[in-house]
Amino acid sequence: MRSKTFSYAIILALISTLSLTGCNAFKKKQPASGTGAEGTVPPLAGGSEIPSASRPIVTGELPHGQFVPVYFDFDSAKIRPSEMSKLEAVAAATKGNNKKLVIEGYCDERGTAEYNRALGERRAQAAREELVRLGVDAGRISTISYGKERPADPGHDEASWAKNRRDEFVLLAE
Amino acid sequence: MKVYSIAGLMIALLLWHTTEIVAQVEVKKNFQKRSFAVTGFSGDATVAGQLTEVLKNDVRLSGYLALTPAADAEFVEQGSVRGSRGDITVECLVTQRATNKSVLSKSYPGNTQDLRRLAHVIADDIVQAITGQRGIAQTKIAFVWRRSPTVKELAVMDYDGHNVRLITDDKKISAHPRWSPDGRKIIYTSYLQTFVDVLEANLYTNQRRRLAGFPGLNSGADFSPDGQTIALTLSKDGNPELYTMNANGGDLRRLTQTRGVESSPTWSPDGQSIAYVSDERGSPQIYLLSRDGGEPTRLTVSPAYNTEPDWSHPPADSGVSPMLAMTSRVGGKMQIGLYDSATREVRPVVADSADNEDPSWAPNGRFLVFAKTQNWRSQLYLLDVLAGEQVELPAVEGGASEPAWGPWPGAR
Repeated sequence: MRSKTFSYAIILALISTLSLTGCNAFKKKQPASGTGAEGTVPPLAGGSEIPSASRPIVTGELPHGQFVPVYFDFDSAKIRPSEMSKLEAVAAATKGNNKKLVIEGYCDERGTAEYNRALGERRAQAAREELVRLGVDAGRISTISYGKERPADPGHDEASWAKNRRDEFVLLAE
Repeated sequence: MKVYSIAGLMIALLLWHTTEIVAQVEVKKNFQKRSFAVTGFSGDATVAGQLTEVLKNDVRLSGYLALTPAADAEFVEQGSVRGSRGDITVECLVTQRATNKSVLSKSYPGNTQDLRRLAHVIADDIVQAITGQRGIAQTKIAFVWRRSPTVKELAVMDYDGHNVRLITDDKKISAHPRWSPDGRKIIYTSYLQTFVDVLEANLYTNQRRRLAGFPGLNSGADFSPDGQTIALTLSKDGNPELYTMNANGGDLRRLTQTRGVESSPTWSPDGQSIAYVSDERGSPQIYLLSRDGGEPTRLTVSPAYNTEPDWSHPPADSGVSPMLAMTSRVGGKMQIGLYDSATREVRPVVADSADNEDPSWAPNGRFLVFAKTQNWRSQLYLLDVLAGEQVELPAVEGGASEPAWGPWPGAR
């Protein structure tokens, strides 16, 4: 006997099991949270619910320099409108192929280490949300937060700190 | 006596605010330091010298005893060492001068390779005998060692800063160590496999395993007081949120759902609640949540930035009540503060021209270890919260940060 409720229950159980194991077989396209694009996309109730990509295999250090980093204001994970053209360039480079993209989120050296790891992750995810809105498949994008580790500029002043509050983008070789 | 009146004033200020979390600290029995003289040990001069040096430092750091000359002391230590290399026996006698009564008379088997530990055992016995309280001389502190500008390893040291041992040797980044309640394992944040994972290192078997390796961030892991549950930050569902899982990484449960960032959980002493950071209202503040989730309660409102809460778990019979310590940012500088839930204020206990961050409570709920950054270099300091005294630990070359004070030895 096959009832509708029974089928939905099975599907729900499958989805929750898969999300618990970090697998992304169901590549549902979720709307972005509306960061930096007022009015065009309705905000989600509980933050961006873009399911994460499964992890790509990575060996060795990820190279920087393919793309210009996106920079952030102090204490903020909002993508500034002036940074959007950089994300458009990443989206354009990513849409033409099936390569995986890694977004690394960073903070400057001020503030505590663990909160900065979470803030750096939020910065990476903010860029991911924009890229998804620009048409990149969420399933291809992974995020790594370095918190306040690995500054781009080792200096201890406002100019250096501004260069360290960033997202770096790495398109992995196929 | 001057020290006592200043300290007394601080205690009065502390007592002014009586709360559930920052409850009244019972100072009367324990704060007044008892004067104590270490006269040393007869026997082999080298062994005796090393034991005496460590013991004196333990007395200074104990929080209960003040090191004084024998003529001024309420209690006097003397002892003897039999043997000079390899296995030795140490006798220790502590006498109360006024009554000539012995408060400690004990024989300790040991080894010259292990003198620091032996002195720590003796120091804890002395504190126990005089005050009835458990001493911290045998406890350990885990921390992050800045091996190079791009490499951070986990290390463990004795509470006095000596005997540093590496836990990781990955030449990558390891961070945020937290102890299991039995002291056998450390869970931590690792970049060993490039992505940000929570790993567990077993200190006895030297084995490592991954507890959380979901897409995105896996970090901030903290053991519940009974060691059965781990609270942590995961961003796998799109945003850094708070989760719990069991000690093997299973039974994952999501606790928060906000548009902001959640991070840095710490468990209440009864294991029923979790304090953590959320910036959903703009800047990071400390919130409280039941271990089963539900509606969070906001704890802090000012200053504008409060992170990295750590909840003390003092023994029930110690007369010390649980307290929530945290890092606050005031005027661009980081301070260590204690939360007062009656006034919702965060009272600074370490505030100076340096950045003071990441407090971690000793198991006696009276001492904190934290990282002080000056000229962009971090080193670890101890704070005696009752006496208001800071002690700089021996410097670690390269720098030390994110300390985590371990449990009582032989804890279960």
